[in-house]
Amino acid sequence: MPGGPVNIFDTSHFLPHGICLLWQPELLALHVSSDVLTGLAYYSIPLALVYFVWKRRDVAFSWVFWLFAAFILACGTTHFFGVWTLWNPDYGLQGIVKAATAAVSVLTAVALWLLMPRALALPSPTQLRIANQALHREIEERRQAEARYASFFNNLAESLFVVIVRSDGAFVIDTINPAHARATGLDPAQICGRPVDEALPPDIAAHVKARYTECVAAGRPIDYEETLDLPNGRRTWHTVLVPMRDAHGHIVQLLGSARDITERKALQEELVQASKLATLGTLAAGMAHEMSQPLNIIRIWAENALSRLRDGDLDPGRIDKVLTLIGEQTDRMGKIIDHMRTFSRRDGGGTQVFAPVESVRSAVELVQNQYALDGITVNAELDEKTCMVRGRPFQLEQVVLNLLSNARDAILDRQEAGERVGRIQVGFLVNGERQTACIAVTDDGGGIDEAVLSRVFDPFFTTKEVGKGSGLGLSIGYGIVEAMRGRIEAANIDHGDGRRGVRFTITLPVTRPSLRDVEMAHV
Amino acid sequence: MSDRRHVLVAEDEALAAIAIEDFLSRKGYRVTLAGDGQEAVERLRDDPADIVITDLRMPRLDGRGLIRELRGMSPTLPVIVMTGYLTAESADDALTNGAWRPLEILRKPVSPQAILDTLERMLNGAA
Repeated sequence: MPGGPVNIFDTSHFLPHGICLLWQPELLALHVSSDVLTGLAYYSIPLALVYFVWKRRDVAFSWVFWLFAAFILACGTTHFFGVWTLWNPDYGLQGIVKAATAAVSVLTAVALWLLMPRALALPSPTQLRIANQALHREIEERRQAEARYASFFNNLAESLFVVIVRSDGAFVIDTINPAHARATGLDPAQICGRPVDEALPPDIAAHVKARYTECVAAGRPIDYEETLDLPNGRRTWHTVLVPMRDAHGHIVQLLGSARDITERKALQEELVQASKLATLGTLAAGMAHEMSQPLNIIRIWAENALSRLRDGDLDPGRIDKVLTLIGEQTDRMGKIIDHMRTFSRRDGGGTQVFAPVESVRSAVELVQNQYALDGITVNAELDEKTCMVRGRPFQLEQVVLNLLSNARDAILDRQEAGERVGRIQVGFLVNGERQTACIAVTDDGGGIDEAVLSRVFDPFFTTKEVGKGSGLGLSIGYGIVEAMRGRIEAANIDHGDGRRGVRFTITLPVTRPSLRDVEMAHV
Repeated sequence: MSDRRHVLVAEDEALAAIAIEDFLSRKGYRVTLAGDGQEAVERLRDDPADIVITDLRMPRLDGRGLIRELRGMSPTLPVIVMTGYLTAESADDALTNGAWRPLEILRKPVSPQAILDTLERMLNGAA
């Protein structure tokens, strides 16, 4: 063996390992049985590991299990080799098997340490169990919350609906609650899950889409009144839309609630009409006087002409003059009657775009002469700039007339008390910047006690003596102005020359007339 | 002519006033017109009338104010009131309770003949 190249697989120079044990059967049996049992056990462990990884494919770091399997398999093989070398001196091969085992062992040991931090980070089954329980609780809470909301949604008397805003901008009716279905007559089965265009008749679809678009564009809740022809008939609604956003801030849903205000609107109409007739009533005495003037002139001229005729003192020139004058006076009466008729007439259901300055002018003209006879001058300063508002012209005139009538009553009270008052100032101003029109009625009737100033718009509130005022005028005026999306305010004014009074200010938003409105106005 | 009876007509509606003037002039009266109570008082100071015909609602000084002034000047001057104002009457009004007699009320629209009849009755009664 010295001098030549060493062949570790050449076994001719070695003795089997059993010789070391002197072939003692007891010692051999002990070694053989121990190594075989250990090897078998080692061989069974990787099988179990592979089986586990095979069955639990979701297990983390499964390659480590394969490494363990290889490592234990190698260990088992070294034990079997221990048995083999008792009789066969293949120590070269045994060394290589041991070397392979060493390599796999080191690899496994290193890998295990490297893996340790990540392995420690893995949740333990206890942690997982606790997390799992928490999840279960949350699911249960959410289920209950959802049931509660579903119960609200399904049982509330309020009409509710949900509209999905698709990313392409289309609106899809998600769901409507039973109250909404009852109130509108819409069938949830027919409309839910369908785009608005398909679910609703074209004119209604166009109308609601415009509102939904408005809400999305505004990015905040909006509310409005709308009158729609639905399966249940023509109803008026007060609708509120609330936009809902996703995590990115995009509006994905609109929550809607609608209240049927058809009856309330009808009642309001009745109340406005009743109040108008009441205003008319207070005007009646003055009207009688207005009418009696032309009538008086006609009678005096006609009878005087008759008397001249009988006296033989009537020439064609005078006849011409008398008849022309009578014609003119009937015209004057006709105008008064026309005004009363149009004022007392029930306004149609819809609003229109009109010039508010005309309503103000008309109201002032109606009372100017009458009030002059009571020693009250009505001075109007009207901005002639073109400006349109949406509403009902005669209702606005009614509000102004009511303010004028209150001003007169206050002034007459002061006059009776001997004060030299009697000026009503009516102003109309267009604010182009704020897009508003402003109507102000100022009197010198002494003003209103500051303590009750805030209550003057309350229904049935009156400072007049019993039987003189219903206390409805201002509250109805308030309603009319509010319906025009305007506001009405009262403030005490000191004129600086000892006279005091009240100023009522009505502020209305200016509208741009649509083509349709312009056409309507010319019908 | 000085023997003609002098009538003052206080009426703010000029068209009514001039027709009354024409009628009464033709019936032999001298007529002075005033557009309101204040003007009537001023004219009567310069040129006293035998009878005054007045409207009730007038600017400046109204009919009641005028009569109050007249009663200060002459308690017996006959007055005819023409009114179209319905609420002119109330129980304790000096106009209707007789405090301002001699006084007659004519409802608008008034007939010129009724004015003449009333006027003559009052003037003859007073005479």
